[in-house]
Amino acid sequence: MTVSPTQISPVKNEPVVVIRNLTKKYGDYTALEDLNLTLSAGQILGLIGPNGAGKTTAIKILVGLSRPTSGTATIAGVDCVGESKRIKQLVGYMPDKFGSYDNMRVREYLDFFGAAFQIPRQERIHRIDEVMEMTGVSYMRDRYVDALSHGMAQKVGIARILLHDPEMLILDEPANGLDPQARIEMRDLLLNLAQMGKTLLVTSHILPELSRICDHVAILTHGKLRAHGTVKEIGQQVSQQRTVEVQLANEECVPAAAKIVRGIILHGEVTESPAEAVVRFRTDRSEEALGQILKALMDASLPVTQFRELQTDLEEAFMSFARPQKEAEGAPSMAEAKA
Amino acid sequence: MANPIIQRELISVLRQRRTVIVQCVLAVGFVLLIAIRWPTEPRMALSGLRSQEVFRLFAYGLLATVLLLLPVAPATSIVRERTRGTLGLLLNTPLGPWQIFGGKFLATIGLAGQLLILSLPAAAACYALGGIYPSDVFATYLILGLTVLLITSSSLLISTYSASADAAVRWSYGFILTISVLTVLPHYLLLGTGGFTGTVISWIRALSPISAMMSLHGAADLGSAGLATTENIVLRFSAISSIAVVVTSLWTISRLNFSLVDSARDSGMIADDQSLGVRSLRRAFFIIDPKRRSGYIGPLTNPVMVKEFRCRKFGRLHWLLRLIAICGIISLALTILTTTQTVSWDVASVGGIMVVLQVALIVLITPSLAAGLIATEHETGGWVLLQSTPMSIWRIVWGKILSVILTLGLILLATLPGYLVMVAIDPGQWFQVRRVAICLLMTALFVMLCSAAVGSLFRKTVSATAAAYAVVLIVCAAPLLIWLGRGAPFGHSTVEKALLVNPIAAGFSVIRVPGFTEYNLVPANWWILGAGSLLCFLLLVWRTHRVSRPQ
Repeated sequence: MTVSPTQISPVKNEPVVVIRNLTKKYGDYTALEDLNLTLSAGQILGLIGPNGAGKTTAIKILVGLSRPTSGTATIAGVDCVGESKRIKQLVGYMPDKFGSYDNMRVREYLDFFGAAFQIPRQERIHRIDEVMEMTGVSYMRDRYVDALSHGMAQKVGIARILLHDPEMLILDEPANGLDPQARIEMRDLLLNLAQMGKTLLVTSHILPELSRICDHVAILTHGKLRAHGTVKEIGQQVSQQRTVEVQLANEECVPAAAKIVRGIILHGEVTESPAEAVVRFRTDRSEEALGQILKALMDASLPVTQFRELQTDLEEAFMSFARPQKEAEGAPSMAEAKA
Repeated sequence: MANPIIQRELISVLRQRRTVIVQCVLAVGFVLLIAIRWPTEPRMALSGLRSQEVFRLFAYGLLATVLLLLPVAPATSIVRERTRGTLGLLLNTPLGPWQIFGGKFLATIGLAGQLLILSLPAAAACYALGGIYPSDVFATYLILGLTVLLITSSSLLISTYSASADAAVRWSYGFILTISVLTVLPHYLLLGTGGFTGTVISWIRALSPISAMMSLHGAADLGSAGLATTENIVLRFSAISSIAVVVTSLWTISRLNFSLVDSARDSGMIADDQSLGVRSLRRAFFIIDPKRRSGYIGPLTNPVMVKEFRCRKFGRLHWLLRLIAICGIISLALTILTTTQTVSWDVASVGGIMVVLQVALIVLITPSLAAGLIATEHETGGWVLLQSTPMSIWRIVWGKILSVILTLGLILLATLPGYLVMVAIDPGQWFQVRRVAICLLMTALFVMLCSAAVGSLFRKTVSATAAAYAVVLIVCAAPLLIWLGRGAPFGHSTVEKALLVNPIAAGFSVIRVPGFTEYNLVPANWWILGAGSLLCFLLLVWRTHRVSRPQ
């Protein structure tokens, strides 16, 4: 069953994850600086950032594998640093590396981790069948884990973290290296888990994928939180400039429409695409000003079929944060590199 | 055109800091060896005896270095390419199997050649002392060179058959132990046998480079019980090893093709789903079928221990059962032979063979089981998964150690019937058998903790396994090399001190094996091994604590 993010109804609105002023330093290098985040039950938070941004450091602190230099992090009120044993029962952690064992079958693999989580034998037998059914891996129960394809292994990884029925799931790059079909299956699986009331924290480099499953996104660069909110909020935060697209009935009208738009917005960027019969422009003008543009186009009897604002996508938002950092580091832009 | 594989394999190894360290240590070691044994009295120097003693010791040391250090590089060479996926890329280039093999072979030879060149100044110093002919020096280096070729070609062949780098290292060291030491056993057991059997035994003995080296330096060889033989062992060793090098090289080249990387994923066949006939046949063959659907982990069982047994190919129960059965049969057979042939074999000789077999099994199996306790988890990504479970780090490590203890315990117990029959034949042996049992227990404990501690210093399984094998073999083999030089150049006191750290020698002295009866090694050996085990345990605890604490 496919579930869209809008269908997800959190079980409670209480924050499950609370991160306050979290800082992690390795000698002089600051991996994470003053991170503040909250995440409510049933939410899916996408943590994005370039390599070395501090995503994995943040995750490791949350699962008790790393100690922060300062600040606090709690999951369901349990301190991630001081009560790491309780945290392990509350969290299901899937690292980016699968963690396979030689000569071990999928059922044996799940049995081992079930026993490691101290699930009583009888309960474990049922639970293994349950999670295999849930994640769609029942048919591969007798396969060896080291012989699984990447997509299969990722599903088994999710089955593993569901064994002890944790409140929160933390997945590091779950869609990495998956083919399109496996990616869709993974997306549906994560959405189903959120619908079951699980709180999810997901990192990914595949940003369109994240925007489809996450209701909240946090952008990290150089250990600092640059933006946090819904994908729409982030888009608005990133760009005060709106991109508007005017679709015309025929291409001959494109120059005339572009002339009218230029006349009103004055300093904005206007691009013509005769092949698509489209005029696009970026402006910081208000809703009223956009109304004026539409009115002017209609008054000029141009055949406008659509007049719409384009959403800033996650990729664009991410780049707008990542680009200034790269430039600050002195990395050449694409154009400079080509030159 | 230069072979790019030689460039990559040899140059990259030579650039490593540890290679430089090993070279420096060896160079200093050779210099010290000569300096310590350098004659202090002019009269001794004139006889040339001292220089011969020094040269003999130097040759054995060099041979031991080659046997211990060399196998790792060729053993991991091809299997690593396969596991990393670069073998397919290599086979996809215009380089043929000959060039791939040639590159890897010559790179290892280059490495070993450098090691031998480092020893030349020391050899020249011995020669300058007098009493040594150029032909002695030449023959010594001929044996060393052939040993290098044999180890390289056979380890490369083993590498093509292995599924993992540590398995390749394990099998390579097993092969070296077999050709160096175990080939001498038939000669030792059946000394004086004539006819066809005697000839075969004599040729088998000639496989051993240690036999050849001892024969060259005028000593009665490893299994000769003090009797010199008339056969030209050096010539036989040269002939056999040359043929073996050619055969193993051609065999390896024939295997270097796409069949190495062209294999389907295991479909995970389950014996439970097969027909009754197939199941019965498999049951009869395996006793405990490795393809059966295993049960769920019990409530009182350490899950890590179960996981360790399930993950090992060799450690699975059907293999253990076979090993235990073989141990039991051999020990009983040896004891029965004692009762029927007491004239030629006494109880002590049989006891000695049993000690050798048990220690060989412990030395061969334990490092491969214990060295990768932490490194393998790091390598496979399992360490993070284990750390994210509520199990304490000590329970995890205990589960792993327990899996090694159970395996070793079963192997040691399998030979108990042999000892019991021995005691039944000669009740006077009861005291010795008890002491031998303690020696074996101490050996197993030390080798296990030493392998685990040394292995915990590395992040890669292959490095951990190789280092553990090297340390264990040095402790078990180096004092025996000194024992070989008993009388000259080493005196009784020096040999006894060296043997005090050796678990094999302690077992031999207790069971009164000829050549070891004059040394009083027990209980000092137990104390030393106990202290060594404690130190290794503390090192393991410290390393475990370090790798498991939050970053």
